[in-house]
Amino acid sequence: MNGRERILCLLDGGKPDRLPFMPFTMMFAADYAGVLYLDYATDFRAHAEAQFRVVKGYDIDHVSVTSDPCCEASDCGAKVKYFPHQPPAIDEAHPLLSSREQLRGMSAPLPTEAASMRNRLRLIEQLKLGAGAEKLVEGWVEGPCAEAAGLRGLNNLMLDFFDAPEFIFELFDFVTEMALAFGRAQIAAGADLIGVGDAAASLVGPEFYEHFVWPFEQRLIAGLQAAGARTRLHICGNTRPLLAAIGRLGCDIVDLDSLAPLDQARREMGPRQVLLGNLDPVRVLCNGSPESVYAAIAECHRQAGGRFIVGAGCEVPRDTPSNNLLALARYAREHGAA
Amino acid sequence: MSERMLPWEDLRQAIIVGQAARARELTELALAGGLAPAEFFPNAIVPAMDEVGRRMRDCEFFVPQVLIAARAARTVIDRLRPLLLQDAAAAAAGRVVCCTVQGDLHDIGKNIVAMMLESAGFAIVDLGTDVAPEQLVEAVRRHRPQLLAMSALLTTTMVNMKTAIDALAAARLRSGLKIMVGGAAVTESWARQIGADGYGPDAFAAVALARRLSLIAI
Repeated sequence: MNGRERILCLLDGGKPDRLPFMPFTMMFAADYAGVLYLDYATDFRAHAEAQFRVVKGYDIDHVSVTSDPCCEASDCGAKVKYFPHQPPAIDEAHPLLSSREQLRGMSAPLPTEAASMRNRLRLIEQLKLGAGAEKLVEGWVEGPCAEAAGLRGLNNLMLDFFDAPEFIFELFDFVTEMALAFGRAQIAAGADLIGVGDAAASLVGPEFYEHFVWPFEQRLIAGLQAAGARTRLHICGNTRPLLAAIGRLGCDIVDLDSLAPLDQARREMGPRQVLLGNLDPVRVLCNGSPESVYAAIAECHRQAGGRFIVGAGCEVPRDTPSNNLLALARYAREHGAA
Repeated sequence: MSERMLPWEDLRQAIIVGQAARARELTELALAGGLAPAEFFPNAIVPAMDEVGRRMRDCEFFVPQVLIAARAARTVIDRLRPLLLQDAAAAAAGRVVCCTVQGDLHDIGKNIVAMMLESAGFAIVDLGTDVAPEQLVEAVRRHRPQLLAMSALLTTTMVNMKTAIDALAAARLRSGLKIMVGGAAVTESWARQIGADGYGPDAFAAVALARRLSLIAI
């Protein structure tokens, strides 16, 4: 089986030849290929070249577009700061929607015309061209809570949950429709799977998550699946109180950060859910040894049981020793998916 | 004001549930009743925010609840500030310079820590995000804090904590200054490695750490 077949086999309920291996490699990939991160995040050619090199070097089963959490926000006009050696970041002190009223006058950018989104679409075309049917091509959109935080500012958004709940619904509706349009464009460009990153959702607690966030994540996941893609949800941070609700979203892959225990996720999400993760990226993957990485991912696998994909709890840190990532790859190679 | 009429319990509750307007109203009533501004910290603000911390540790509260509670506490503090001598307020617990380090624009963790420290009676000088070592050196020279609190979310920016500490040492400002660090990527061992005096895994641990460090700051 090749990487694409391996992942799709597992997602379709089958038993692949071994565990799929799907770590996030962003800064690690750029460094590995000797590409300036700023180029990786803004130039589809540099990004594609780095992805092809890193997936070959570490026997990774997919190629991914993840590089810039501000992609959609910057195309909306948010103030984004670019750095030479790390991902772009929203200027939290000067959010685009400094007042709630500004949302009424906003329109979503067209993915085929806006600069950052268009770059990602061309990246997917390039990845598809290079990967063919060998590697699964992963697109990416920001989830409702993360994108809303990008436009409104995270501090403001957290207070809006109390001060202006109706505004939260309007804003989440806006960003979910934008994500759906962007996701569909990525699927049309060749993406097999769309990752949804909803980092800020881990901050709000189960009550607000169920009431405000979950319905929009569910609409987004269902819409992407209806457009023909598989889906992967990744929420950075401690999602422990949200696991049961996340399990009801219908995601093809739930990719857990290291703070959420896999055994609890398995109990609360049931035996059919494909789980991915979830080594502590800093303490274990970056600062550990090949032996400790191998032992830690074995424990993750034990807790998750079947229907498991090997990966770190979040992005592979840039200074991760090569042998540690190789140990993770070796674990996937040496173990079946049962 | 008789013991029976003391407003502390009501004020604590207003802060805990984030009712800023109610907290402000109770503060006005208490001041009109002759209560001294300095009494608000030990009787209402500090215990209320300690309770918020307990609820967050026990997963009863999450970031939105903490932020509205901190906003209510700040409303009370803002009302009291003109009535308190600046130095007296700073002397109550200590002065803290805080920032997110150079290259890092994430500020929610730093903001929560700053608000919690302020509610615990510390005087806060918040330098914001993406703060260069030379800005930090200048701020420490100018404000002479007992504590410096630095935040970094990213593995790529936490190295700038060390750069900042080295710059403070080069400027001969390190001795007598206690330095605490935190943020998603930061660990206890990293704190030791870069020569910081302490690490707080969350905002409430940061308050406890600041209380401890301020007692031994020279």
